[in-house]
Amino acid sequence: MFALVDVNNMYVSCERVFRPALNGKPVVVLSNNDGACIARSNEAKDLGVKMAQPWFEVKHLERSAGLIALSANFELYGDMSSRMMVLASRYAPRQEIYSIDECFLDFEGVPGDLAAIGRELRRQVLQWVGLPTSIGFGPTKTLAKLANHVAKTADRKPGTYPQRLAQVCDFGALRSEELDDVMRRTDVGDIWGVGRKTAPKLHDAGIRTVLDLKRADAAILGRQFSVVMQKTVRELQGTPCLEVEDDPPAQQQIMCSRSFGNPVTALPDLIEVVSGFATRVARRLREQQGACNAVHVFITTSPYRTRDPQHSPTATLPLPRPTADTRTLVNAAVTALRGIHKPGYPYAKAGVMLVELQSDKQEQTSLHLFDEPEEVQPDGRRDLMATLDALNERFGRDAVGIASAVKRSARSTHASRQERRSPRYTTRLDEVIVARA
Amino acid sequence: MLRERGTASASTPRSRVAISFGSPAGESGVTRLDLNEILIRNPQAAFLVRIAGAAMREAGIDDGDLALIDRALDAGHGQVVIAVHQNEFLCRRLCTRGEALGLQATDPEVPDVWAGEADTFDIWGVVTHVVKQVSG
Repeated sequence: MFALVDVNNMYVSCERVFRPALNGKPVVVLSNNDGACIARSNEAKDLGVKMAQPWFEVKHLERSAGLIALSANFELYGDMSSRMMVLASRYAPRQEIYSIDECFLDFEGVPGDLAAIGRELRRQVLQWVGLPTSIGFGPTKTLAKLANHVAKTADRKPGTYPQRLAQVCDFGALRSEELDDVMRRTDVGDIWGVGRKTAPKLHDAGIRTVLDLKRADAAILGRQFSVVMQKTVRELQGTPCLEVEDDPPAQQQIMCSRSFGNPVTALPDLIEVVSGFATRVARRLREQQGACNAVHVFITTSPYRTRDPQHSPTATLPLPRPTADTRTLVNAAVTALRGIHKPGYPYAKAGVMLVELQSDKQEQTSLHLFDEPEEVQPDGRRDLMATLDALNERFGRDAVGIASAVKRSARSTHASRQERRSPRYTTRLDEVIVARA
Repeated sequence: MLRERGTASASTPRSRVAISFGSPAGESGVTRLDLNEILIRNPQAAFLVRIAGAAMREAGIDDGDLALIDRALDAGHGQVVIAVHQNEFLCRRLCTRGEALGLQATDPEVPDVWAGEADTFDIWGVVTHVVKQVSG
């Protein structure tokens, strides 16, 4: 069995741990440069705020409905994420960190009542870290993800699913007709592996619910749509097609991680590895015309070498602006690595994850060209990186130093466009919470 | 158990340190005392909070001190806690009187807070240690 553990409204939940006054209020967290809503509290969802909706479209709700907007505080979210991930990893033999707020756990060979284990994990994360989670168990990753959707939706909207499936939902404990009922209540657009563009096409083909999709012919849909679709159908039918640590089908985040053949201890070696990972994820980011807002780096010693000293630090470095620039991303990853590496520990695994992806079109509209005269864009549709690459090719490698330019601009733009950022409560001593005595 | 996947990087890292000698203590084989290990039992539940005010002085907690919080601990009678009261963080001693839960300052002039219908509070975490700057 697999479990998918994820934090409800992660960024908003992190803010609420340190600002209790935000509880029960409509809250959104804005992307870099305060451009778009990248996280919403349930109350904000109820106001109709959509995911990735531009801030200017909902700004009027500040006055009319008390909507509270905060600038993204990735340093805080990254630290809270690593706390949650470490706790979750202790419950199963294998963990795949899938994004900043979700991970898969592989419970293969674990006996006992999984739902009870899930409830204990949920309770512990809530008490220790303060974050509310939803947990779904299923025999495949797609089913675990669906179970997670059920757990979360049943909690948020009573009546959508049986109430006993709220918060922690174990498909393994359902009879087949109960599982069919859950699938009948779920639109195909709500499951993993079915994109926003694919859902209407499935609807046109008469496949409206997840149950319809499960009963479809995987091979035919595979030919009609894609290999991903074929895998999705097989997974819904209970045949695992995706292993833990497999690449996720949808590129909602980009990660590169690997276990080493032999432990790596020296910083220069780790820098080489992490730089390689960052280079690779940057390329993948540009392939999908994306840009990211923060870089998350982790290194970990082997939990299986119990006699070795253990060290599993992570760091998240927010970027001054969304980017897909290899040099910026490598620079950020190495900076993060230097901050967390401790000499002497035999690290067994490392990873680089790009956090909070958006399309590079968004990036271009949020660029304030007048602030950055050195970064001229003759054509708003052209890829920024391609433009700069071309400039560099034409005028020599140092003509436009992107990494250094971003660094220089970091201080000036960071402050001015993150006006609503809360303190970095867990990573800066002068920003910890204050208690009255 | 641990497997490689993909074409992860251009170089395969090779450790120059033999596994059995991979201790952070280096050659001596002895690990230097580390305050993190001494003071923090549950790193994932550990948070720092700055104290503002003098209402807990008799408990050894002064204005400007840095309190170390362990959210993994269940708060009990007599323990110093960080509580959330009216959306504000308060450092107080937790009191139980039968079923009733209350927050008390060591300064008798400061009124108690008792959880009830009119007023309530949440425990945010248990204070385990206090760091105070003595000089420097």
